Amino acid sequence: MERILSALKELGVEQYVITEKHTDSLECFYVKKNLDLTRRADTTVTTVQVFRPFEKDGVKMLGDSEATVRPGMPEGEIKKVIEKAWFAAQFVANPWYPLPAGVKGPAKPDEGGFAGKPLSEGMKTMAAALFAADTAKDVFLNSAEIFMRRTDTRILTSAGADVGWERTDVWGEYVCQCPAPVDVETYHQFNYRTPETAALTADAAHALEMTKARARAAAAPKTGTYTLVLDREQMRELLSYYVDRSSSSMIYQKYSPFQLGDNVQGGAAAGDILTIGLKATEPYTGYGAPMADRPLVDNGVLKTIHGGPRFAHYLGVEPTGNYRAVAVPTGDTPMEALTKEPCLYAVAFSDFQMDPLSGHFGGELRLGFLYENGTVTPVTGGSVNGSILDCQDRMTFSAERYRSADYDGPLAVRIEGVAVAGA
Amino acid sequence: MKVQESAFIAEKRPLLLKLRDALCAEFDYASVLAEDMTGKHYRVSRHSVSVGEGDTARGFVVKALDKGRYTEYSFTELTEASIPAVTAAVKDLLAADVRPADLGANAYVPPAEEPTVFTGTTEYEIDPEAMGDGAILDKLTALRDKGLAMDEAILDFIAQVTWQRYTKLFLSREKDMTQSVMYLDGAVAAAAAKGQEVKQAYVPCSGLGGLELMDSLEQSVDPCVKTVLDLLDSEPMIPGEYECICDPETTGMIVHEAFGHGVEMDMFVKDRALAPRYVGKYVASPLVTMHDGASSALQTATYFFDDEGTLAHDTVVIDKGVLVTGISDLQSALALGTEPTGNGRRESFARKAYTRMTNTWFEPGHDKLEDMIASVKYGMYLEDPSSGMEDPKNWGIQCMVNIAREIKDGKLTGRIFSPVVLTGYVPDLLKSITAMSDGTELSGSGFCGKGHKEWVKVSDGGPYIKATIRLG
Repeated sequence: MERILSALKELGVEQYVITEKHTDSLECFYVKKNLDLTRRADTTVTTVQVFRPFEKDGVKMLGDSEATVRPGMPEGEIKKVIEKAWFAAQFVANPWYPLPAGVKGPAKPDEGGFAGKPLSEGMKTMAAALFAADTAKDVFLNSAEIFMRRTDTRILTSAGADVGWERTDVWGEYVCQCPAPVDVETYHQFNYRTPETAALTADAAHALEMTKARARAAAAPKTGTYTLVLDREQMRELLSYYVDRSSSSMIYQKYSPFQLGDNVQGGAAAGDILTIGLKATEPYTGYGAPMADRPLVDNGVLKTIHGGPRFAHYLGVEPTGNYRAVAVPTGDTPMEALTKEPCLYAVAFSDFQMDPLSGHFGGELRLGFLYENGTVTPVTGGSVNGSILDCQDRMTFSAERYRSADYDGPLAVRIEGVAVAGA
Repeated sequence: MKVQESAFIAEKRPLLLKLRDALCAEFDYASVLAEDMTGKHYRVSRHSVSVGEGDTARGFVVKALDKGRYTEYSFTELTEASIPAVTAAVKDLLAADVRPADLGANAYVPPAEEPTVFTGTTEYEIDPEAMGDGAILDKLTALRDKGLAMDEAILDFIAQVTWQRYTKLFLSREKDMTQSVMYLDGAVAAAAAKGQEVKQAYVPCSGLGGLELMDSLEQSVDPCVKTVLDLLDSEPMIPGEYECICDPETTGMIVHEAFGHGVEMDMFVKDRALAPRYVGKYVASPLVTMHDGASSALQTATYFFDDEGTLAHDTVVIDKGVLVTGISDLQSALALGTEPTGNGRRESFARKAYTRMTNTWFEPGHDKLEDMIASVKYGMYLEDPSSGMEDPKNWGIQCMVNIAREIKDGKLTGRIFSPVVLTGYVPDLLKSITAMSDGTELSGSGFCGKGHKEWVKVSDGGPYIKATIRLG
């Protein structure tokens, strides 16, 4: 860090953000119930973002660029890479904006449940929790990848920030396989900051059950317009429309029409009224300012425009930092009522996507349950293609809750009038 | 001009040889991969200019085999004094208590290696660093201004380019290999608003080389703007099965997502792929011959050897409709008792190697595009694919495509549908191919993930194809 500060001083760089990240990662790769490979990654990366004020056509500008400083770089190379970024910044003609003030403080210790423990201990615990669900013969875990990752981050800025924090995560993915009557698989991810062994075992058990259902799903639903129920990670993706469209960069550049005080749900809603909170998942922003939970949408009305300092300044709003996690109040409708027939309950897609620019959402259906004529039929294949603009005023949220790393809210939503291309 | 070897790698080479020797003395097999990747990304839009680093990576990964167990250790700092610590870290990892007692471990044998000493470099015409940041941004700004000026309805016009240069050094007991590669990708993109919706069009460029490759963007501005204006009149797709003409980019996405992932042989090891049951059988129309390989084409996924020291291949995956073989990394080949095909790739030195695609493409046919369109009674011309997802176990396919242009009685009607989800059963789709145009184009502007992570640069493509596809 001292060598970087010295190079910045020599080059006359007065505004900067230095972010140093050290990661220690222990990784285990399983094929069926056998460990196939163990890895460790012990890496350090330091990025230096430099800001260069200048005038262009009489307008005050602030250009920026970045350099990566690697461990073991000699002083001459450190100065050279920063000098290249400093040179480039003079061509980055963006109207001036102030860097947000940061804070100073002692490094925050890890507050998660893996704090202070060897990564190998967490790895063994979480592997045991995952495979605890793998007890049946007709459906099983095909493979799994588990990553225990401890990260130390320090941010030092010219605007007064000097902060650091440590966190430990476990994250990973697993594939469930059911060989009969049709040999199928499903893909799943997890991410925890505490050893939530019961939750992982329960999620894996649910995933195995869904895989058995997919093996029984013989056909795609018929082409048509359906009342659709989406759940779990599809909920997070669906609601990302509101998070993305309320970012300062999208609003300033007119990719989003959202404004503070707007009813972003499109006016009078016949279904549930939307409330979304932004959850801070790191203690500080990328500029070393404290990060806090904020209301995003309250009863359908936009309360916060979020993002970094540049577009926030242009819009005259507070820079908040970048958010990825949301909290949403649950609704009043139990799942039993939410799945009232007729409806298509889509529980797994190959890759469910929301396009925040157009509001279109969809994907290929890997598993759904068709509720009609008094029966529940598993279906697979075909695709969903809907627009949130067409259905956001008729969303009904479940009373049941679902929590993951970036989502805490209703387990499911029921939306009407969604096109399905099927058999 | 030839791409210069990284000074960092050259300087570390004596230490890396010592590390290799120390590891080989300790373990049944050991290899060392050193990587130094640098690059720069330039982007200009109506309201924003940015210059940042592209993908950067500088570090090392060692792989060791001891008593049948493989382990890897990635790190960023190497000195004379740290060599024993690296060896100790690998030993610690092999001894680490990470596995619950009721789970087992796979056993491997060392790979058979032929003595190989190799140095390879790609070439370029215009050095991005010599051209300079200001000149590159000036070119991009001119493209942006041209795009913005074309129509008042244009909300934004983006011009961007990224160059990447890397050197990799691979050492094992028998191998000493170095390669230096430079590639570039760029794009122009236009956005226009239709009520609450913002429509986008995107035209990429890519290839091995330097800034000379961005010249093609100049010709892309007009079609990009025209397409986004067309999209303002687009309608929601009417779900159904259609006769389709796919442009080379859409063909490329089908090749990659529909079949490429399904023949990655680490999926064979896990019993996650249907393909092994179909080797020697028809899986596609006899018109289809499919390649994958870092040496099969000159594009952004071209290299001389993979991240496990296997020389690049040109693998014929499907020959005239018949599935011939898959593609493989080294460890999967050891598990299966097959030969690796130079497809062991890492996102960076800090990540695991998996079987990954490289340049993946269909050979051309003999048809003319205009004849192919004329042969469609009612159908769609598909272009501008945006993303896809594989399903190697069940050969399902999902591709998101931005534009479907209606064809009626052999003519484009001007009616447009967007967005479009392309789905289906892979062999059905590939067997439905009844015509292929007489040229192949590859695009290397995208990245490929393994599941939802492990991003590597790939290229894919092929000719225009005519097939029957379910659209929604």
